[in-house]
Amino acid sequence: MARFEPVIGRYVYVVVRGTEYRVYFEQSGKGIPLVCLHTAASDGRLWRHALNDEEITRKYQVIAPDLPYHGKSLPPESVEWWKEEYKLTKGFLLDFQVEFSRALGLERPVYLGCSIGGKLAVDLALERPDAFRAVIGLESGFSRAKTAPALDFHNHPRISNQFRMQSMYGKTAPGNPEKYRREIGWTYGQSAPPVSKGDLYYNFIDHDLSGDKARGIDTSRVAVYLMAGEYDYANSPADTRVLAEQIKGARFVEMKGLGHFPMSENFEVFKKYLMPILEEIATNGQK
Amino acid sequence: MRVRFLDPNEIAHVREAINADPEFRLAGRFFSKDILLGVGDSGCLVKVRDGVITEIKLNPTFMDSWNFFIKGSAEAWQKFLQPLPPPRFADLYGGVSCKNFELGGDMEAVFAHYWALTRMLDVMRELQNN
Repeated sequence: MARFEPVIGRYVYVVVRGTEYRVYFEQSGKGIPLVCLHTAASDGRLWRHALNDEEITRKYQVIAPDLPYHGKSLPPESVEWWKEEYKLTKGFLLDFQVEFSRALGLERPVYLGCSIGGKLAVDLALERPDAFRAVIGLESGFSRAKTAPALDFHNHPRISNQFRMQSMYGKTAPGNPEKYRREIGWTYGQSAPPVSKGDLYYNFIDHDLSGDKARGIDTSRVAVYLMAGEYDYANSPADTRVLAEQIKGARFVEMKGLGHFPMSENFEVFKKYLMPILEEIATNGQK
Repeated sequence: MRVRFLDPNEIAHVREAINADPEFRLAGRFFSKDILLGVGDSGCLVKVRDGVITEIKLNPTFMDSWNFFIKGSAEAWQKFLQPLPPPRFADLYGGVSCKNFELGGDMEAVFAHYWALTRMLDVMRELQNN
């Protein structure tokens, strides 16, 4: 008898800003929809442990899409994407999340995202406050739209994907299982050359919380949770705490022993921090 | 702290151990560069040819050429070389981003050979704690 996972993968067509995208996603479980968004230049595989966790999938329907241009979600057929520079914008990401939920008919889902996905948690709470019942941002940091570092080395003819594999391995925390730290790097080796640089446009430029914008978030409409790994130097716990303090009613959690990829580098440690939040959201949803 | 890759009695062993590391051998394809490692006031020049460290030269002078350098205080290296380094000292990219280390020179070469370079540093950490 073959060993199967409960995770099912399939495609859904989603129209965002007039363009149709064939979007791959994986799902598992029943209950409150929990939409999980991956980091820049990776894909939904980063959520494989959550998709397989029975404690989570007993109460939650875990759904992990690959953003267009990532993983198994190809670029759209109607766009000559090879003639323009790939660039991920805040507007697209916001609309994509809303339209993806609509396409699947999700009722008051919960959003959970990491890195660019974590930054999007805050942007969703600010700009689409009624799309999700709660947002959980991992490694969102606090972007004041700092000048982006030179990103040309992320897409350069003489620098291979190996650089991204290894630099992302370095963003995991030492001491976590080597097999999972390396697996994260592997996914980075599989994104198309322009994707990393293009995704980081959102990360460094388009996501901008300067001018205390986050104070405009109303947590009576959408609950906000921000979580940061102790070892994440780029989106540090200190920065994330500053952001959380700007959002009245938001909760901040520092995760010891974790780096930039908490859900992938050591899921069991991450789960200890995540479960109380999921329990709280589920309980509040019953009121 | 005695840094093993700066110890005249140890550098031959350090060189051999890195060259024997299976991952460094894989990562080092096409890697032929000279790397300056600055540790406080000390330092060494690591010469790599075709993925093999051919020499670790202690205390290089201004007469020595190099392709790129990694420099940090003795305290920064002490933290970096711990078996479980603290946050912001755990890897090269993070250490440089947080200004605990300085990285300069031919940056294209740094990123083209980033795997081999970081594996070399990881083996140095392993040797430091053996």
